[in-house]
Amino acid sequence: MSISKITDTSQNHDELYSSLSQNLKIIKNALGNSDDLIIREITVGKAEKFAFAIIYVDGLTDKISISESVIDKLMLEIEASQETETDKIIPYLRDSCLTVGDVNDIFSFSTLYNSILNGDTVILLDESSTGIVTSTKGAKDRAVMEPSTESVIRGPRESFTETLRTNTALIRRKIKSPNLWIKSRIVGEVTKTDVAVMYLNDIANDKIVAEVLSRLDRINIDGILEGGYIEDFIQDSKFSIFPTVYNSERPDVIAGEILDGKIAILVDGSPFVLIVPALFTSFLQSAEDYYQHWMISSLVRILRFFGISLALVAPSLYVAITTFHQEMLPTPMLISVASQREGVPFPAVVEALIMEVAFEVLREAGLRMPRTIGPAVSIVGTLVIGQAAVEAGIVSAVMVIIVALTAICSFLFPAYGLSNTVRALRFPLMILASIVGLFGVMLGLMIIILHMCSIRTFGVPYLSPFGPLILQDQKDALVLFPRRALLTRPRLISKKNTVRGHKYFNTKKRNQSNM
Amino acid sequence: MSKFKAICLLMILSLLLSGCWSKRELNELAIVAALGIDKVDNEFKITVQVVIPGEISSRQPSSGRSPVITYHSTGATVFEAIRKMTTVTARKLYFAHLQIVVLGNKLAEEGINESLDLISRDHEFRNDFEVIVAHEATADEVLNVLTPIEKVPANKLLNSLKTSEKTWGTTESIKIDDLINTINNKTTSVVISAIEIEGNKSVGMEQTNVKRSKSPVLLKYKGLAAFKKGKLIGILTENESKSLSFIRDKIQSTVEIIACPKGDTLATEITHSKTKIKGKFEHGAPKIEVLIDVNQNVGEVLCEIDLTKEKSIHLINKKTEELIKKRIDETIRSVQQNYRVDIFGFGEELHRTNPKEWKKIKKDWLTIFQELQVKVDVHVNTQGVGTMENSLVSKTKGE
Repeated sequence: MSISKITDTSQNHDELYSSLSQNLKIIKNALGNSDDLIIREITVGKAEKFAFAIIYVDGLTDKISISESVIDKLMLEIEASQETETDKIIPYLRDSCLTVGDVNDIFSFSTLYNSILNGDTVILLDESSTGIVTSTKGAKDRAVMEPSTESVIRGPRESFTETLRTNTALIRRKIKSPNLWIKSRIVGEVTKTDVAVMYLNDIANDKIVAEVLSRLDRINIDGILEGGYIEDFIQDSKFSIFPTVYNSERPDVIAGEILDGKIAILVDGSPFVLIVPALFTSFLQSAEDYYQHWMISSLVRILRFFGISLALVAPSLYVAITTFHQEMLPTPMLISVASQREGVPFPAVVEALIMEVAFEVLREAGLRMPRTIGPAVSIVGTLVIGQAAVEAGIVSAVMVIIVALTAICSFLFPAYGLSNTVRALRFPLMILASIVGLFGVMLGLMIIILHMCSIRTFGVPYLSPFGPLILQDQKDALVLFPRRALLTRPRLISKKNTVRGHKYFNTKKRNQSNM
Repeated sequence: MSKFKAICLLMILSLLLSGCWSKRELNELAIVAALGIDKVDNEFKITVQVVIPGEISSRQPSSGRSPVITYHSTGATVFEAIRKMTTVTARKLYFAHLQIVVLGNKLAEEGINESLDLISRDHEFRNDFEVIVAHEATADEVLNVLTPIEKVPANKLLNSLKTSEKTWGTTESIKIDDLINTINNKTTSVVISAIEIEGNKSVGMEQTNVKRSKSPVLLKYKGLAAFKKGKLIGILTENESKSLSFIRDKIQSTVEIIACPKGDTLATEITHSKTKIKGKFEHGAPKIEVLIDVNQNVGEVLCEIDLTKEKSIHLINKKTEELIKKRIDETIRSVQQNYRVDIFGFGEELHRTNPKEWKKIKKDWLTIFQELQVKVDVHVNTQGVGTMENSLVSKTKGE
């Protein structure tokens, strides 16, 4: 645990003093007399009067446990005890008096601050330079609710909350294995945010675990408020527009990924849990794929791949074909498109850009608006973008169809991160298409694919199992094989333990030998 | 990093190789659906049929204006005439969607070779359009006729050509590529479908032509036109065209009318036809054998015949065989005597079977062709009699 700089400003001396009043003065100074800091001074004892101070931050603590397990015990037990020596009071309190789960000694101010700011309660005793910290965390937190960003028709209905401990518990409830390990780190000089790394020790690649931990340790920032901060710090290619860290608010998704040998990173204060290494295919897979019939899932996955292609290139193809390669269209279609383009004042590329930007603006506006105004935005949007613009002759009806198609296709992604990438890449492709036509579109796509091939996420090629082609991992990529066939884990991720269940594997072997 | 630079450089350089630089917006194009070439006073007269998209689109109610417009211009070459046309057209002509090229009667008689050079040389033409020849009309007149149902007359020309080729067998579509390849073939002569205008030519260009349920002016395929060295030498009759299609194995489906033994007629539908031409030399004299294998169904019975009897079916087979054979024999004789060009491809077949012997007679082929012995053998198989057995005629007479 790093030594805080806050104490250095108030006092260079980090050790607790033996004088209670001096300690309390320093603490009050350090916290600037904030009124949520509660210091309760009591004097108890039968044979000898001892002066105690109970220190906690109001709102972060569980008041019932403070009153029942700390103050209550202190007042009654010490009052009744015959102890006279100050030195023995602390061990006595710790070992046989306080009825709280987690009790520790503290010797320094920095630990004291960390403890009370995390919701623990500190007990200081006059004439003793040792304090006691008791775990009384009890800040208000949100209940486990239905996931709001990743809804499924069939599947668990719970999602992560903002509390780290709840989140780890949600995962533990899914994977009841002693091999599910948690490594904790505290990140952020000022915020001191708890970050937990969860993985299956016998499956996850040790090198990747070590790499994740070392990257977390290297983070040097004052505050972490969301997993996005961590994501930005630990991802391999900082300038790539493609997401290389997957996130989900669904415990079942995260548990599934952990079972694949991936590593989960939980950040206190965020209901989104990060997963590394994240491959391109995981952004096109939904939790529900695994809960329904594999054939349906396979069809849906193919549909998604088709959708991403369309969302990426539909507007640029329209621009390229209508301005450069009119001969590619069937004649009746050309005439029909041409008749709609009659009287449109802009070149196709300007038309496409106007409509795409208008759509993005509407989408963004609808997203940030208070819920009550949301419908109004969409009504204005549909009227302006759809009907009025066509009737006024500013854009052609085909363009509206293209934009709508693109928009719907971009909503097809199970993961929001990739959807944003495709949104952004659409525009350069449109510009390329308007300059050199289909050739430009192909060039753009080549650059994109080459770039994707070059990305590594924690040492794993981003496009695997397509590039490099791993035949045995195709069972859970573009299509999904029946569960019986999913015997092995992704090869590049969990290198040391790639067989999923021993029972199935053994039956298969036995059958083979019988034959 | 140097690798990255090299890749970037390669990509940027490859931009220069791109063949599609010129950017054209859709509303800057005049989409040409049909092109007509005529010869007037030693100059080419070019007619283009340009589609007016707004009038074709189903979205907007028709304003009653013509869905196409034709432009004309003349020049010493086709290229010159087309470029000159920009002085009258509103937009640049766009030929990639050309459906059909119509060659004027006079041009065809004087030779079509020169006129085809540009349309097969220029990159903007797509080489997949059909070529037809106007019979007793100029290409200009043909393209001026407005047609009902298909708003663009070029589409009507194309569709009729393809449909009648498929179900009747008297037309044959020929793409510009095939035409260019075969037009100067010294052995086999080329045939092009001929179109004629039925009705008063000047009425055809009026919008009224499409406003009545019975159009006063129609475009009709007459048959196949035979060419010799790029010059039109005559138009085959309907029967001759059909026979030609049989010999050239182009029949997909057609109808034959045969006489019943007790009078009246019976129509059969040819559903499949396979032709084999065999050539051989007997003591240096070329001989041709044409084997035609036909499958048919009984299509329409207007006479008294018991179709449940096998004998009747044999009779139908025999009658059809005789009919087709007789017609083909007559056609071959007629072509040998009147046109004296090998439009059947017999020379090619002889060349294939015996190149050595062929070399000897190659020079005099067209003379030899006139006296060539052709043995036609037709085999017909009737497969079905339709959804009823005996005809209404036989039932009424039986009572």
